[in-house]
Amino acid sequence: MSVLEIDHVAIGYSSTLIVNDLSVEIPKGQISTIIGPNGCGKSTLLKAVARVLRMQNGAVYLDGKAIHQLKTKEVAKRMAILPQTATAPGGLTVFELISYGRFPHQAGFGTLRKEDYEYIHWAIDVTGLREFSDRPIEALSGGQRQRVWIAMALAQGTDILVLDEPTTYLDLAHQLDILLLLQKLNKEEGRTIIMVLHDLNHASRFSHFMMAMKGGNLVVNGSPKEVMTKENLQTVFNIDAEMAVCPYSKNPICLSYQLYDIKE
Amino acid sequence: MSNSFLTASQQKTRRKNFVTIVTLLVLIVITFVISMNTGVIKLTPMEVFRTLFGQGDAQQQLILFEFRLPRIVIAVLVGMGLAVSGAILQGISKNALADPGILGINAGAGLAVMLYISFFPTTKAAPVYLLPVLAFVGAGFTAILIYTLSYRRHEGITPMRLILTGVAIAAGISSAMIVLTLRLTPENYQFVATWLAGSIWGSNWRFVLALLPWLLILLPFVYAKSRVLNILNLGELTAIGLGASIERERRWLLAAAVGLAGASVSVSGGIGFVGLIAPHLARQLVGAKHQFLLPTAALLGGFLVLMADTLGRSLLEPSEIPAGIVVAVLGAPYFLYLLARLKE
Amino acid sequence: MTTSTGVGGLNDLDELQKRSHPIRGVVALIVGVIGLLFAIGLSISFGAADISLGTVWTAVIHFSPELTTHQIIHDIRLPRVLGAALVGASFAVAGAIMQGMTRNPLADSGLLGLNAGAAFMLAVCFAFFPSLPYMYLILWSFVGAGLGVVIVYGIGSLSKGGLTPMRLVLAGAAVSALLGALGEGLALYYRIGQDLAFWYAGGVSGTKWSHLQILSPWILVAMIGAIILSRSITLLSLGEEIAIGLGQRIGVVKIWGMIIVLILAGAAVSVVGAVGFVGLIIPHLARYIVGHDYRWIIPCSLIYGALLVVLADFVARIINPPYETPIGALIAFIGVPFFLYLARKGGKEL
Repeated sequence: MSVLEIDHVAIGYSSTLIVNDLSVEIPKGQISTIIGPNGCGKSTLLKAVARVLRMQNGAVYLDGKAIHQLKTKEVAKRMAILPQTATAPGGLTVFELISYGRFPHQAGFGTLRKEDYEYIHWAIDVTGLREFSDRPIEALSGGQRQRVWIAMALAQGTDILVLDEPTTYLDLAHQLDILLLLQKLNKEEGRTIIMVLHDLNHASRFSHFMMAMKGGNLVVNGSPKEVMTKENLQTVFNIDAEMAVCPYSKNPICLSYQLYDIKE
Repeated sequence: MSNSFLTASQQKTRRKNFVTIVTLLVLIVITFVISMNTGVIKLTPMEVFRTLFGQGDAQQQLILFEFRLPRIVIAVLVGMGLAVSGAILQGISKNALADPGILGINAGAGLAVMLYISFFPTTKAAPVYLLPVLAFVGAGFTAILIYTLSYRRHEGITPMRLILTGVAIAAGISSAMIVLTLRLTPENYQFVATWLAGSIWGSNWRFVLALLPWLLILLPFVYAKSRVLNILNLGELTAIGLGASIERERRWLLAAAVGLAGASVSVSGGIGFVGLIAPHLARQLVGAKHQFLLPTAALLGGFLVLMADTLGRSLLEPSEIPAGIVVAVLGAPYFLYLLARLKE
Repeated sequence: MTTSTGVGGLNDLDELQKRSHPIRGVVALIVGVIGLLFAIGLSISFGAADISLGTVWTAVIHFSPELTTHQIIHDIRLPRVLGAALVGASFAVAGAIMQGMTRNPLADSGLLGLNAGAAFMLAVCFAFFPSLPYMYLILWSFVGAGLGVVIVYGIGSLSKGGLTPMRLVLAGAAVSALLGALGEGLALYYRIGQDLAFWYAGGVSGTKWSHLQILSPWILVAMIGAIILSRSITLLSLGEEIAIGLGQRIGVVKIWGMIIVLILAGAAVSVVGAVGFVGLIIPHLARYIVGHDYRWIIPCSLIYGALLVVLADFVARIINPPYETPIGALIAFIGVPFFLYLARKGGKEL
């Protein structure tokens, strides 16, 4: 069953198209990951799904309804988005920023209600930020900050989470930390997670569904076993990959790789 | 304010913020009393109170109700309007230098006044009621011009383009004003220059009545948009993700900022600096949440202008220093001190 | 998806190479120099007494003091046009340096408190020493400009986090507001505002050889300094971290940059007042033509800044003779539409 259907979508800035006629169905309740080389249009696609960019052609359907025709607040109740470069204004505390996630559920004057507080505190607990909740954001490390942004998206209380490279700038352990958190949210709460990842092995280990893009087109999609093959990696990244199996997920991973140009 | 969902330290922050706001209110009241007591004819605090409750003599009543009180009320209102306008603009543009000046409000109002004075060099009495109207029209027209010029189809308004356009238009208007300056007679020049420097010269209940509706409508409107301002502050992508229709929200908030600043500037002249520093100072005091930031900025703005006007009236008696100059001379060093002290 | 660290830095460098256009730079410089020489000739030959371009040429080459035309050229028009060129070049180069160092497209020398400082000091002179000769007025204006810079720079550097571009911008705005208010207060109290306006409206008309003799060595040295510094400014414009990573001592570069800006813009502002728009638009124009390499932007700004002010001064003289239109107004008149065009078109470039 699909939760998001991307139907013949074309996106571009003025004259140049960045994504060409792309169609894919994103499964519900699963972790889906977009991979691809720099400039392949994966962030652009994500921005269109997040209705930040207008599409030149095609449509994105959320549960069968065209996303651009839905009220933006209604979409925000269903789908939370974490952009790649999120910056908080100075002077906000962790709690305050996370509480902003309740925005789409508030009306009028918008004092926080009991239900809002429950969501906020749940988001703080699930991301392990309890002890930081009164600190200013500036005082946190990169990994903690990323957790705060994820917590804000969680407080939004949506069943779909869209994240653009949530592990960028984090060290190995913190990267894993974030991904395990997302996995837990998916497993325990059945949330649909859609993200762009640069690390192929992370993508393979944590995803149920992968999409590989190149030059604005979807090259291949399917389970990690279907997508993470030597041939596909050659097509998408132009690399000669040495494949192995991940001991944790039993999915294929790339042990090491060489550029084709150098090999010849 | 007890709320079982807040931790102890959050409640402490809240209390601290309320204390800040109450302190500002008290400061305004104190300055109010001092201001009442300042001028050629002194009124002691007791006399002020007695007169306020209808127990003063005719002269005291005249001075209090017809001269000092309207002027004080205008000073506070103007400060509030400019400060909130600045807070809105800094919020939506995410630019620390944004103030009502970037929408060309000061420049537009100034040009309108100067044009009028240079082509209809009338006696001083005549334009008193016309000037605020002209200034308001000038301010509104310039804001619309800047908005139109920075609007682009499919993309709408980006804050960066708005600022750039505003800077350019303001520069153009200033240079037009240079040309006009040279045409003015010395008396007219002095009048215009005083107006431009920003002074609460329209001490009259009619000005209060002209100004009050704008603030009564727009301040609650903006306060109700606190949450939207919070979200806009997080950047475009996040704001959209959270379900804010940013284009529409920006347009309404911009219109509110223009209304507030235009109405204020039209009775006070160019006290632009209040719109720049009051939001900054408020952010230092109560943080970035607009639910607290907006009222604090408003009170700070009101306090600053009232204090500046009081000082300006009393320092060089019988001549007056325009409040705009006093605001800058007092506000800038404090602002610089904050800037030097803070890490971020 | 370029990022500002690590590999991203190299991407920026690549980007820079791609986007700088040396050939266009050479052509732009040659065209600019020819245009400037032509504009200077034009400006000298037109006026209350029209003088042919040929006479202008002989007056420069074989000056004979007996001829009235030669005297007009030598004593009035030549110093004036050279003054205009110096002022324009100075403002434009100072603006280019400021924009590169702060990475802020809205930066110009006014941001350092220069304009407000000079205007304040001029107001002080007009209020308390009304009979001061022209030369001293210029000197005191320069002192005022320096005062503004010292306060802004001092506050910025004293603060805990050091002088970040953001802090520079805010400190500049506050100091400008303070000095501006003080100047305005003096002007109002002593009723000298209009005199000040007339003084500024005069632009470069009062320039004499003796002023040029004092100003030009400083400006010349500062210009050479700016060209020497241009490579470092290019690196700084990529971001401080990258500049440090590439082995740049950014503290030193910044101080020298400030000193150069102070000399150039201080000298210019004390002669014609705050004609800020030159410093704002010319670097944008230069960047549009020659790309993002300050080794090209700075010389180009120099030539085109001079050209703009010479032309503006020329138009200021002939538009409504015998009255002079304020040069700042003319520059804004040319500059505002151009800037609006850039703001509308670019967005990213700016």
